[in-house]
Amino acid sequence: MDNIIEVKNITFEYEDSDQKDTVLKDFSLNIKRGSFTVILGHNGSGKSTLAKLLNGLYKVTDGEILVDGISTSDEEHEIEIKRRVGLVFQNPDNQLVASIVEEDVAFGPENLGHAPDVIRAEVDEALKSVGMYEFRKSTPHRLSGGQKQRIAIAGIIAMKPDCIVLDEPTAMLDPKGRAEIISTIKKLNRENGITIVLITHFMEEAVDADRVIVMDSGKIVADSTPKDIFSNIKLLKEVGLDVPQTTELLYRLKSGGMNITTDVISIEESAQKIYDAIHLEEI
Amino acid sequence: MSILEVKNLTHTYDGNTPFMNDAVKDVSFSVKKGEIIGIIGHTGSGKSTLVQHLNGLLKATSGEVLLDGKNIWDDPKKIRLVRSRVGLVFQYPEYQLFEDTVYKDIAFGPKNMGLSDDEIAHRISEICELVGIKAEYLEKSPFDLSGGEKRRVAIAGVMAMQPEIIVFDEPVAGLDPRGRADVIKMIYDYSNKYGATVLIISHNMEDMALIADKLIVMNKGELALFDTTENVFKQHEFLKDIGLNVPMVTQVMLALKEKGLSVPDDIFTVDRAVDYLLTLSKGGNHNA
Repeated sequence: MDNIIEVKNITFEYEDSDQKDTVLKDFSLNIKRGSFTVILGHNGSGKSTLAKLLNGLYKVTDGEILVDGISTSDEEHEIEIKRRVGLVFQNPDNQLVASIVEEDVAFGPENLGHAPDVIRAEVDEALKSVGMYEFRKSTPHRLSGGQKQRIAIAGIIAMKPDCIVLDEPTAMLDPKGRAEIISTIKKLNRENGITIVLITHFMEEAVDADRVIVMDSGKIVADSTPKDIFSNIKLLKEVGLDVPQTTELLYRLKSGGMNITTDVISIEESAQKIYDAIHLEEI
Repeated sequence: MSILEVKNLTHTYDGNTPFMNDAVKDVSFSVKKGEIIGIIGHTGSGKSTLVQHLNGLLKATSGEVLLDGKNIWDDPKKIRLVRSRVGLVFQYPEYQLFEDTVYKDIAFGPKNMGLSDDEIAHRISEICELVGIKAEYLEKSPFDLSGGEKRRVAIAGVMAMQPEIIVFDEPVAGLDPRGRADVIKMIYDYSNKYGATVLIISHNMEDMALIADKLIVMNKGELALFDTTENVFKQHEFLKDIGLNVPMVTQVMLALKEKGLSVPDDIFTVDRAVDYLLTLSKGGNHNA
C-alpha cells in the first residue's frame, strides 16, 4: 500500500503577538492509502492542529506535508489538496451552510465548478452513502446531532475525497448519534476505500481501527494496533488517557490472580475470555 | 421533605404554529436535599428544555416548579433570588468566560449577588481550593488556559455563588479522560462539602454509575423512568430500545449471563465486577 499522506519533519508554531507557541516539532507520520487510523491524546496534545495541517487549513512553519505527492504549502494546488482530504469538526451546527440538506451537500461540488447534472448525481450518491438520502429535502436544524454530522460528512463525500480527517466528530453526540457516525465511518473505509483519520477521546471508537497513534505534547508516544496500545495501560494513564472498561476489567482480573490474557477489547470477546477462564478453573 | 419538586410540567415550543412541538410533556419528579440526580436521554428528548425551567430561565406552558414547596413564579420579581439558589451550568460553559483575569471571571456571579469584596475574596479562595484551581492562576487570563482548565474556571464561577441546587448540562462533553475525571470529582466534592443538590445531564453512563444516586430517563419529552441508578440500569433492554446504553462493564456482565454464568444484573462499576468475578473464580477452584 502506498501513502496518501506523508508528513515530513514538520514544525508548527502559533504566532501570537508576543509569544511563539510551538505545537509540533520535527514531527513525521505516514498514512497509508485505504487505512483506518485513530489518533488519541489529551486536550492540548497537538491532535487538532495536526488535523488542520493535513488538508492545508494551517500551513507548516517548517518541513513538508505531501498529499498524493502534492505539498500542502503549494498554494497553486490548494483546491486539489482540499478536495482530496476533507475535514469534519466537532460541532455539527458550525459546519452546515444551507437551509436544505441537499443544498448543503451540493456546496462543495458547486464550488469545484461541476455541471448541474454531475452535482445532482454526486449529492444523491453522497447522501445514500451516509444513509441520509430520505432526508434530502429536510432542513438541517431540525435533525439530530448524529444526522447533522452525517450531512457534514456527505458534504465531503460529494467531493469524492481520498481521505477524511475527523476531529472528535462524536464529542457532542448522544450514544445513538455516536454509533451512527462510527458505523458510517467504518462503512466508508471498508466499502468505498476512503482513508480515515479519526481523532477521538472515546477509546471504544479505536477498537476496530487498523492503527492507533497516541500523541502527547506534540509527539507520537505510541503507534501500533489497538490490541497492542490498549494492553499498555501504564502508558495510557501516564499521558492522561483511559482504557476501555473491558480492558481495565481484564487487566484487573489478571492482577487479581485470574488466568486470563488482556489482548481483547470488544464486549463479546472479553466476556468469552472471562467465561473460559472461570470454566477452565472448574475443570 | 423534598427541596425541589416538578409537577406536571409541560413545555410547548412554537405553540399555535405548524411547528408546534411538546418538548417536555407532563413531567413530575421530586428531589431531596443533597441528592445527586443524573438525567439521561437521547438528543432531543427534552433534557435541556426541562432543566432550564428549574431556575426560571424558561416558563412552563403548564405545570409548576416548587422550591422548598413554593412555586418559583409566585412572585416573579423574586426570580433572581431563585436563580441564586439554583445555579445552572450550560453546555460548554467556557465559551461564556469574558473577563481579563480568572479571578474577575469567578467573581462576576458573586458580585452580581451584591456580596462584599471581602466575602467574594473568601468564597473564591474556598472554591479554588475545593476544585483545584491554583492561586497563581487567578491573575492569568482565562483565555490562556487549556480547555479542561477553562471548563473548571467557568464551573467555579457558578459554584462561588454557593447555590443550594446546581444543574449541569453535559459538563464533561468534549473533555479528555483526565478532564472528565476532574470535573466529575469537583461536582461530587461540591455536593459533599455544601450538602448541595445536583442534577446532571450526561451521555456518559460510566460517569453516571459512579456519581448518581438516582437517574431520570427522558424519552420523547416524557419522563420514562425515575429510580435509583441501580434499578434504572437493570432496565438495559428498555434503555437500548430508546437509544441509550448501560456502562460497558455491565454489557460484559450481561454477555456472561447469556453464556450461562450466574451473575447478578446490578453491576455497573469495574470495581464491583472485579470483586464479583474474582470471588466467583476462586469459589470455582474451591469446589473442584
